[in-house]
Amino acid sequence: MDWQAARVSLLLAVLTALLLLPLGLALARWLAFSTWRGKPLAEAALMLPLLLPPTVIGFYLLIAFGQGSPVGGWLARQLDLRLVFSFEGLLFASVLINLPFMTQPIQRAFAAIPNSLREAAWVSGLGRWRTFTRIELPLAWPGLLAGVALTAAHTLGEFGVVLMVGGSIPGQTRTLSIAIYDRVQAFDMAGAQTMALLLVATSLVAVALVFAADRRRPLQER
Amino acid sequence: MGALQVELHNTTPMRLSAAFDCSPGEVVALVGPSGSGKTSLLRAVAGLLQTKSLRGRIIVGDCIWFDSEKRIDLSPQQRHAGFVFQHYALFPHLAAMENALIAAGTSAARSRLPELFERLGLQGLERRRPTELSGGQQQRVALARALAREPKVLLLDEPFSAVDAPARQALYREVAALRQSLATPIVLVTHDLGEARRLADRVVILDAGETLQTGTPARVFASPRNARVAELVGIQNHFRGQFHKQEPGWARLDWGDRAVGLRVLDKNRIEDGAAVTWVVAGERIDLLPDGAGEQNLLRCRIEELLSLGETSLCALQPELLPGERVTLTLASGQLRALGVVAGSWLRLAIPPEAVHIMPQKEGATAPPSQAM
Repeated sequence: MDWQAARVSLLLAVLTALLLLPLGLALARWLAFSTWRGKPLAEAALMLPLLLPPTVIGFYLLIAFGQGSPVGGWLARQLDLRLVFSFEGLLFASVLINLPFMTQPIQRAFAAIPNSLREAAWVSGLGRWRTFTRIELPLAWPGLLAGVALTAAHTLGEFGVVLMVGGSIPGQTRTLSIAIYDRVQAFDMAGAQTMALLLVATSLVAVALVFAADRRRPLQER
Repeated sequence: MGALQVELHNTTPMRLSAAFDCSPGEVVALVGPSGSGKTSLLRAVAGLLQTKSLRGRIIVGDCIWFDSEKRIDLSPQQRHAGFVFQHYALFPHLAAMENALIAAGTSAARSRLPELFERLGLQGLERRRPTELSGGQQQRVALARALAREPKVLLLDEPFSAVDAPARQALYREVAALRQSLATPIVLVTHDLGEARRLADRVVILDAGETLQTGTPARVFASPRNARVAELVGIQNHFRGQFHKQEPGWARLDWGDRAVGLRVLDKNRIEDGAAVTWVVAGERIDLLPDGAGEQNLLRCRIEELLSLGETSLCALQPELLPGERVTLTLASGQLRALGVVAGSWLRLAIPPEAVHIMPQKEGATAPPSQAM
């Protein structure tokens, strides 16, 4: 069991979910209620990480943020920030590819709130912010939980993008999924087995939690 | 508390050309078929109709809620309207009392809530979620929420359509009681004429976004302004004819192909020779045994007789106008006394003052000459 890799994986999952939650919430709410004409295009762009092979995303991130690129060079010179082969870079990539996992459930949850409820809040004197905190957020809560759980579980399991932009630096970018790959390459099947089981169990628990939360709500609210 | 005055015009997405007013304590019903714009009109008053093309004014007392010329457009939050939605729109995650609390803006309003719940028969249900309440109870909570707002205007959008009949009867009494204690204008949207007749002081007839007629229910039903209003308020006995002036104060109404000339009053509102639509209030028509003779007497055959207990639904066919049909609801006792059955003949007496005559609108979709 590579505890260092487990620590990197866990840290990456937690930080990705935390960073993505406010971003995904804002984006999802806007997508749920917007009548903007370009919305389908924005939604399609958001779905891309689900459709493209992870290697393609990793490849473009390398090109965009490698030190040879203008952006990567500027970040390295001005902010001393390297977005390839570093934990920060891995986190950035992880936030990007997890966007659909966070926004999709939240957007669906907001879209499921009947418009009459928001109007009822407005005529009851609730401003936009209080309507959001008192009515929308409590009703969309299971969607938020699902977004966080799916993002965390997916981050734990991500392999292709991690390998492309992170490499396999112990304690930095070597996650559990990379460590499993390394163990198999070294014919250490028993070592790979423990870590694989750990990933299966965590993902299963995360997704089961989402379904359990959804069941607790009365039927009419679903 | 001030009166509500509404005058609104809109082009897209919903055509509106409507004006009405409502005094404090008065109940005004907006009546029309679905798609007539009655709900849009109500939403516009509440500030929920979001359209840039809306023109006109909404004034409550001395407070301007909307004025397109002065560029005043208060938000729904600023308007202080109590709105009861058709399907309640209660917050499902909040208990009944919390639903009302959220709308109570002041501590005074909050302190009055227990009394309000008691008055609406909701005591003991304060902690229940909406899903744990019956339809009628949910509607009372929705009403409590609207009243907790201490509204300057109470707006009800088809408030009784989603509750079952017994609960509806109770809610009717509730609204009747409310207007005694509440000094605010109450505007009610309904497609149910019986409901409007029962609850409203005045009705506003809407069609395709346009107010066609405003008045007390009795007046609108007895004297619809035109054929479309007659059709909308469900008057069965409306016919076409031609109006001919005679001696001062009197005229002859040719019904059908002049086979029958009815003697009617001339109120100097219809031109000589005009094609008209006319209605007759069924309760003012008399039945006589066949053989009686007087003016405006029509020999009719009972085409259909449907007993409904104390009353019977009767379809009569005038002898000289086989294409026309007069539908009447008559006391079953009167029919028994006349000894009539389906197929028998009798005389219909139409008093001149029972006939209400309207101009036939040029190009308007006039109803077919035969009712039903």
